Amino acid sequence: MRHTRIYRTVGLVWFLLTVAAIVYATRLALVVAPTEATMGNVQRIFYYHVPTSMLSLLFPYVNFVASLFYLGWRRRNPMRALTADAVAIASAEVTVVYSSICLLTGMLWGRAVWGIWWTWDARLTSMLLLWLLYVSYLMLRKLSATGQTQTLAAVLSVFAAIDVPIVYMSIQWWRTQHPAPVFGGGPDSGIDPSMMPAFGWNVLGWAMWGVFLLVFRYSLERRRQETEQEAARKSIEGSMEIAQ
Amino acid sequence: MRLSWLFGSSMEAHHLLAAYVAVWLIQGGYAGWIAWQWMRAGKELQPNLSLNTEADEDM
Repeated sequence: MRHTRIYRTVGLVWFLLTVAAIVYATRLALVVAPTEATMGNVQRIFYYHVPTSMLSLLFPYVNFVASLFYLGWRRRNPMRALTADAVAIASAEVTVVYSSICLLTGMLWGRAVWGIWWTWDARLTSMLLLWLLYVSYLMLRKLSATGQTQTLAAVLSVFAAIDVPIVYMSIQWWRTQHPAPVFGGGPDSGIDPSMMPAFGWNVLGWAMWGVFLLVFRYSLERRRQETEQEAARKSIEGSMEIAQ
Repeated sequence: MRLSWLFGSSMEAHHLLAAYVAVWLIQGGYAGWIAWQWMRAGKELQPNLSLNTEADEDM
């Protein structure tokens, strides 16, 4: 019980710090950061679009590693495997949330700047594929009625993770409508130093929020697993009483 | 008001506002859904607190 109280306090403090960081980052993005010369104010979508896009390529790796642990532990240590499975489903949902935001903000920005909502270039298409893969992962987990659902989902997760480096490298491998990387994309890449605080705080704020969601969703999944274990235990006890 | 341009009638202003509001709605909606499920799962678990003593200590 003492541990539960400590975890809840840490969680609450983390949540409050995260909200404060995001509010501050949003103020920097909308009020303090200078207006971009070519695109004007609509460029401020960048401060939400790029950090969430970066994070939508990080959470699939959490899902990938957790799925590998699940596959490794599922026979040798089923209780630990359940823990890995809880991390896997939590990270898959957070991936879908962040990649949905990436696609949505990208479309809103693209319509205002390019004049089109969507184009089938390599970056946009590979990102849509990533979103579809993790939506199908969640649908598999929700709809499959076999006893092997978690194993099938873990295998799908391993294949889904292959798309992540393709999304990242797509703007370097192919000529795309999507602009070249903002950072590390050659001598002309990068942003004006006056834009860096707004960008950095948004990366920090949304990363902290992602960690909060991941841990909160993981805790929920563990709760559900405990409820299911209890129901299964009661069912076994009930059938044994009938047999006697 | 320094943010008055955000509520302008241009497409750029509409899209910028829509992007920021959508992000908050999606993230807040997902966190709210987890909180709601958390409370539901808590109600189901409450009568069965003696389940897994190891897990309880870990929690």
